[in-house]
Parts: sequence; structure tokens; C-alpha cells
Amino acid sequence: MNFAYYPGCYLHASAREYDMSTMAVCKVLGIGLSELEDWNCCGALEASNPLTLSLSARNLVIAKKEGLDVLVPCSICFNNLSRANSAIREGGIAKTVINEAIGESYQGEVEVRHLLDVIVNDIGLEKLSKEVKVPLKGLKSVPYYGCLTIRPSKVSKFDDPDTPRSLDDMIKALGADCLPFKHKKDCCGGNLLMSSEEFSLKMTGDILSEAKELGADCVTVACPLCHAMLDYQQSKIESKYDIAIDLPILYFTQLIGLALGLGEKELGLDKNFVSTIKLRRE
Amino acid sequence: MMDKFGIVDASNLDPNFKYAISNQLGGENIKRCFQCGTCVASCPIWEIDERFNPRKIIRMALLGMREEVLSSDFIWLCSKCYACYERCPQDVKITELMGAIASIAEREGKEGNVVIKSKKPIFDKAFTNSIRKYGRNFEMKTIINGVLATKGIKGLLSYTSDGFTILKKGKLGLRPEKVKEMSQIEGIFKALEEK
Repeated sequence: MNFAYYPGCYLHASAREYDMSTMAVCKVLGIGLSELEDWNCCGALEASNPLTLSLSARNLVIAKKEGLDVLVPCSICFNNLSRANSAIREGGIAKTVINEAIGESYQGEVEVRHLLDVIVNDIGLEKLSKEVKVPLKGLKSVPYYGCLTIRPSKVSKFDDPDTPRSLDDMIKALGADCLPFKHKKDCCGGNLLMSSEEFSLKMTGDILSEAKELGADCVTVACPLCHAMLDYQQSKIESKYDIAIDLPILYFTQLIGLALGLGEKELGLDKNFVSTIKLRRE
Repeated sequence: MMDKFGIVDASNLDPNFKYAISNQLGGENIKRCFQCGTCVASCPIWEIDERFNPRKIIRMALLGMREEVLSSDFIWLCSKCYACYERCPQDVKITELMGAIASIAEREGKEGNVVIKSKKPIFDKAFTNSIRKYGRNFEMKTIINGVLATKGIKGLLSYTSDGFTILKKGKLGLRPEKVKEMSQIEGIFKALEEK
């Protein structure tokens, strides 16, 4: 099982631990990754729609030349690359605009896959649980999907937008307890940090508060922006609302890595802002 | 165009505004909206502050309230969560529609036709500048430029201790990663500017 690996800008910078744990876990699970040659930024949440779709499509053209489907851990990149692919496949004006901008005649030949989808549906939970060396027995986690991993479902395709279960099932397959979590598909407000810090901290604060009230040991996420909000902004939320949270936020690949018995250095567990020491089992 | 009682002065409406939006990539489906309000019920921003109402913005745009829509704070407060997009029975693609309206507002703002209060487009510009220069986001520079432009030097200094922690954790590169075929990136920017 081989893919063109699209890390995206965050995984080479502030989400370094997502990149490290992705590579470590894929190696054990037999998912072959070769980094997409000369990839460029997808436009994230900041570029206009035509720019985002065109920048994203350039990456898909490179993957097509490499003859590989694209594997993406970042949900923002996943959303943009998938939207570009869908727009091309639907045809119409967007397809013309994109192909003119990139100077290609791309037809949507490659598939864009989220790493969570590949692990849960291609590798499968049965194989995943067979690989578990250190069952996460007694560890309580809440699954946090956020937005772009599951919406819009016409684009992301692999999970139900109302009752998503890929993260839930994955947590259980590792031997951990998955707590029912009302905020699992609510927005963290990350995109509002520059326009309204107040709104964004409130949105993330609500998510963290419920997780804390449930008695979770950690929150499991699949998106670098969700992670930055829940992890990096956590201390700001604690002082703003005068509450104690102290809740580790793990990328799902870090959680899998713990269960596979991989080392903390390999998984970048020292790079999370909220200490993950309580969760380490080696 | 709207007096203190919220009554719309129909003589000042711009009937072509909806076409300007539907000609913008992402705004194509605006005329499909039949005002059911499913978007409002799904919107996390409306949940915090009822002044921010996607149905209202769409109705105002359809009526032709150009200036009110383009200078509205709401278009910069869309979190891009896609909750409304997911549920809209008319497939208005509201998340992308808000982006299309924001693009028009940015253009009109540059020409001095509307006043934009939000700092969001300034940060977005710092981000896209990085892509244009390197093909990738040089996170450290984007954050420094973005925070400096939106929160000033005092705002930037408040990040000093965080900055050291992030650097110590090896989470920010000190040098940009650059795409080799930069002419292709420049070509994309140029092609879209000419539109």
C-alpha cells in the first residue's frame, strides 16, 4: 500500500509531532509513504477560493505524474485537495479556472485520502488491534472530529457527518475507553483567532470543559488547527476563564503509537504543549 | 439603506449585486436560497451572538444591500466549519458563498468603496504573501508579520515567551522551505489576478 505523502506546511512546522507520529505508525502498519515531490501549500483557510483550489490542484497533478494516490493527515489540506479534486470532477467553470491557472488539463485522476480513513478502512481495525503491543486499558479518551475531517461529507466521503465513528472505533480498537462526547463535531473556532479571539477561545473552551467534566485522560484529534486550539491555547483558556483543565491533546497517530509500543521521541510526545507524561506507558 | 427601524429603502438597492456574487467562484448557488434558516440553526457563530446570521446576510445580498453586506463583520466571522453547507437543502454551499462575498469585499475595500474593520484579511494577506514568495507557508514569518499587522508591536511582544517554547520544541523552522518550481506558483497567482 503506497501513497504520495502530502505533509502540508503545518506538519513541517508547528505540527511536527503529527508528521513524526504519522511516519512512525505508517511504517509499522505497512503504509508506504514517499513525500510528494516539490509540493506546495494548499492555501489553507487564508487564500481565496480560486487560489486555494488552483494551488491544491498543482499538487494533484504532481501525484498523477508519480502514479500515486495522495495521503493527507492534515484535515485542512485534506479538505482543500479534496475540494479541488471534486470541483475538477464536477466540471463546469471551476474546472476551467483551475486548469487555466495551473496550465494543465487535469481530470481528477488521483484519489485524495485522509490518513484516518486509510487506517480505519484500508488497514482495518482488526489488523490494527492485532498490532497492539501495549493495550491502552483503562485510558479514557474523547474523540474530537471537528469540522474538516468529516465535512462537507460529499467531499470528505469516508465518515458520517452526523454520527461519525472512525475515531471512536479506532480508540476502542486500541483497548482504550471511548467516552460519548457531545462536542465531537463542533467547531474549535481556529479560523476566528484573528477576527475574534473571544469567539474562538469560547468555542474551544466549551469543548475542553466538556472533556474535562467527563473525566477524560486525553482528547484525540485529527487536525493541526484543532490541536493548536485545544493544546497551545489551553493555558490561555485556563487563565481567561479561571479554570483548571490540564488535559493532554493527542493526535490520533500518537495514540496509535502508544498502543503499538513506539517510543515517546519517535511520536514527538515531548512536543505537545500540555504535558503528555501521564499517558506514557513505557 | 436601512433606517433605524430596520426598514429597507428599496430605491437604493443594487439588483445586480446577486449576479456579481454568483459570478464569483463559490457564489454560484446564492439564488437557490429559499430562506429556510437551516444554516442559522447550524451556525456556531450565531449560537454565540445572534447578530451574526447567515440567512440574513444571504437575504440582504439577494435584495441588493451591497454596502451593508460588504462592510458586515459577519463575512469575516465565518469559521468555515461547513455545518450549514452540510445541511442546506438547496445546496447553496454557504461556506464557499461567504468566501465569495469576502473576496468581493476585499476588492471593493482596496478600491476604497467599502470600509473593512476586520483584521482577518490583513492576516490572510500575510499568509498568501508567504505562499507567493516561497510556495509554502513560512509559519514563523507569517505569524510575525500577521501579528504585527493586526496587533502591533505590543501584541507581538506578548508572544515572546511562547515563541521561545515553540522554538525549543523544534516546532518552527528558522528558514523557509521553498518550492523548486516557483514559476508555476507565480503563474497561478498571475493567472487569477488577470481574471
